[in-house]
Amino acid sequence: MTSAADDPILLVHAYCDGELDPANALALERRMAEDPRLAAERDRIVALKRAMTKLRPAAAPPTLRARIERTVGMRRPAARPTWSALAASVALAIVVSSGATWSVLGPGQSGLATDEVIGSHIRSLMAEQHYDVASSDRHTVKPWFNGRTVQSPRVVDLAAQGFPLLGGRIDVITKTPVPSLVYGYQKHLISVTQTQGVAPTPERTAEGYHVIGWTEGGLSYWAVSDLGIGELRNFVKLFRTAPTDG
Amino acid sequence: MSDERTRFANVVLPHLGDAYALARWLARNDSDAEDIVQEACLRAFRGIAGFGDINPRGWVLSIVRNTAYTWLKKHRDPKVVAVDNVEDVERAGADWDLGPASPEAALIEQADVARLEAAIAALPVEFRETLVLRDVEGLDYRTIAEVTGVPIGTVMSRLARARRRLMAQLGKD
Repeated sequence: MTSAADDPILLVHAYCDGELDPANALALERRMAEDPRLAAERDRIVALKRAMTKLRPAAAPPTLRARIERTVGMRRPAARPTWSALAASVALAIVVSSGATWSVLGPGQSGLATDEVIGSHIRSLMAEQHYDVASSDRHTVKPWFNGRTVQSPRVVDLAAQGFPLLGGRIDVITKTPVPSLVYGYQKHLISVTQTQGVAPTPERTAEGYHVIGWTEGGLSYWAVSDLGIGELRNFVKLFRTAPTDG
Repeated sequence: MSDERTRFANVVLPHLGDAYALARWLARNDSDAEDIVQEACLRAFRGIAGFGDINPRGWVLSIVRNTAYTWLKKHRDPKVVAVDNVEDVERAGADWDLGPASPEAALIEQADVARLEAAIAALPVEFRETLVLRDVEGLDYRTIAEVTGVPIGTVMSRLARARRRLMAQLGKD
């Protein structure tokens, strides 16, 4: 049996799937440049992968979801907050943050906020639409938050690094509506939630989701995803070092 | 809600769409896929207390996959599921035909959804599940190896063979 590491065809497939490390990818690129048969295989794989993006994503029928919830004895989960509920929570947040109670939104709230950040990410995964505004253009996403959240999010372009911007949504963290950006990585989603006055947890894993938090310019950021922790750390590093314009 | 139900809601429910998609590709039938996902969710719910901090999607998909195999063996002709000669084909080693008759990339890319779905449905189930986990569900090789319980080398071999069959099929005029 030929070992996978020796079979150039298997390596070309792995190359197209982004599974080769940089050194092996480079070595294979040289081989493909010399061998037109390998280059042709690469073109066919890319063509097939493109064709497969035409397949309709099969959404689980709503009746199935209801059946499963009955099976495990769950009630229907609460719907996403409506705009009137969000407006009410804005009012509440203003009352809370205007008084001496501000101090409770400090580090003590961190655990609760982390839970809420993870909860918001999970809820968005379950929603038909993963974001309130769908756009890969940061000049569309950023202004969308005007008048909806107190802060405007820091939006950076990481498409070239494999993390395209997909959109944004509003989450309610410690009773305050805050902006969350949604980035993609292959089929994974990454939420970046921005808060103020809540100290983030540096790194935590819960229910298989990783959260990495950091503070910058008086604001707190939380990146949540089911990506591997190494990939998420890489994303956070890119996000923090990417240039922002406006 | 109890702890188990909360965990189930957090770990399993977000991946219901992916679970259904995989079940549909394995069963090739919508209503069977629903039964499989319901059964898998019940298994996941019973096992939720033991769920560690591993990739939730991979965990859910591996339960769906195992449930689908059990279900298909029980409800359908066992021969449909047991493709014994697949491993023999894999062991035969590299016999890739890269001759001038190989299909054109452009022709493959133009394939419409109906032809593509029919070609995927015609693959042996081991090839089909590997292809679907990679190119529909977007899992990496290591997670596919964990979900399907085979070494990464086998994942690579199955994926390449699945794709080559599709290419040959779609590349025909």
